[in-house]
Parts: sequence; structure tokens; C-alpha cells
Amino acid sequence: MKSFGKLMKMQRNELDEMQLQTRNRIGNQTFMLLFYLLLISIGIYGFGFRWLDYPLNVFVIMLFCMSYYLIRIIWNNAYIGPVSENQSVGRKVTYVAAIAGIALVIAAVYIQSLTTKTAATEDSGAIILFVFSMVLIIVAVLVGIIAKRQNSE
Amino acid sequence: MGKNLRLKSARAARDMSQKQLADAVGVTRQTVNAIENGNYNPSINLCINICKVLGKTLDEIFWEADEDAEK
Repeated sequence: MKSFGKLMKMQRNELDEMQLQTRNRIGNQTFMLLFYLLLISIGIYGFGFRWLDYPLNVFVIMLFCMSYYLIRIIWNNAYIGPVSENQSVGRKVTYVAAIAGIALVIAAVYIQSLTTKTAATEDSGAIILFVFSMVLIIVAVLVGIIAKRQNSE
Repeated sequence: MGKNLRLKSARAARDMSQKQLADAVGVTRQTVNAIENGNYNPSINLCINICKVLGKTLDEIFWEADEDAEK
């Protein structure tokens, strides 16, 4: 590549310009989706219809939007940049899956201790963390599979 | 925006694949494909890089000649 030595410096470890544009567009759309879903949720909550209790409804909406964002950026090839495309994305996915796994175990132990005490608590934080970790592991595995498939094409 | 057939032919003349051109200019193959199909407007930096790799000028690859002016 000596003959191309005078090429203008492009950020080779980042997303390319089309990927950035795509990611920004999807990010903006997802933010608006999150905003409107939360607004609708607040609205129907005000009318007395409770489809889920307070912290859970926000959590479910956020989880939905996060998954929507991830799936769309992977689908539109804006998840990994041109250089990292040639490398394995396994490390990134492994880190996320490991962190989610640790959180999953901690939440499971906490829930276990709560149920053995038979104390009725209103705190649903542990369950949220448990479900969130499980979903994160599933998403991380899916990302790994899709990225591997895209690289082999 | 129509297809950029001049880019495609210049690349073919150099016997380069989309992937090779993409690697040379530091973008993904999908970006090169989108430029060739007229689905994406590249920045001037990317245009210059593509021209340098293909040994062409900006006019030769990216200038859309006005048909009326030619007549």
C-alpha cells in the first residue's frame, strides 16, 4: 500500500462515514421512539390503565428500545467498522456476556435470599437486574453470531 | 441519484474488487457498493481518496456532466 501512502488520514479504527451517518439516524429514531413510548406509558397510566407496575414499565420500554437500536444497527451494517470487521468481535461480545453473567448470578443469589426470608418486599430491582442480564446475554450471543456471519460473507 | 458507472468501470479497469477498493480507502465494502449504486453521497475526502487509489481525477469519476451543456 506504499503507493497509497498519501491518502488523507481516515479514522481506520472507527466506523466509516456512511456507517456513522446510519448509526446517527437510527439513534435519533430510537430516541424519539423511546420518548414517545414513555409518553404514551405515562398517558395511559394517568387514565388508570396499568399495563405494568411503575419501574417495570420504564424498564421494559428501555429494553425494547435498546434491542431495537442494536438490531437495526447490526442489520444496517453499522455495528463494526472497516478494520475491526477483519478482526474477531468475539472479545467485545465475551466481555459483555461475562459482565451480564456476573450480574445474573448476583441477582439470582439476591432473589434466592429474598425468597428464603419470605419477607414481602416491594423492591423489584433484583428481578429487573436478573431479566436485564438475561436479555443482555441473549443479545450479546446474537450479536456475536450475526457479526461472525457478516465477516464470513 | 443515478448509478456511478464511471467508478465501477474505473475499478474494473484496475482489476480491483469492491472489497479491495474499500480496504484501500478505509471504508467498508457496503459503502463502496452504496456509492456505485448511487445510494450514498461520499464526502469530498473519500472522493479524493477513491480517485487517488484509482488514478483518476475527481471530474473523471464524480462529475455529472450537464446534458444540456454538452448539446
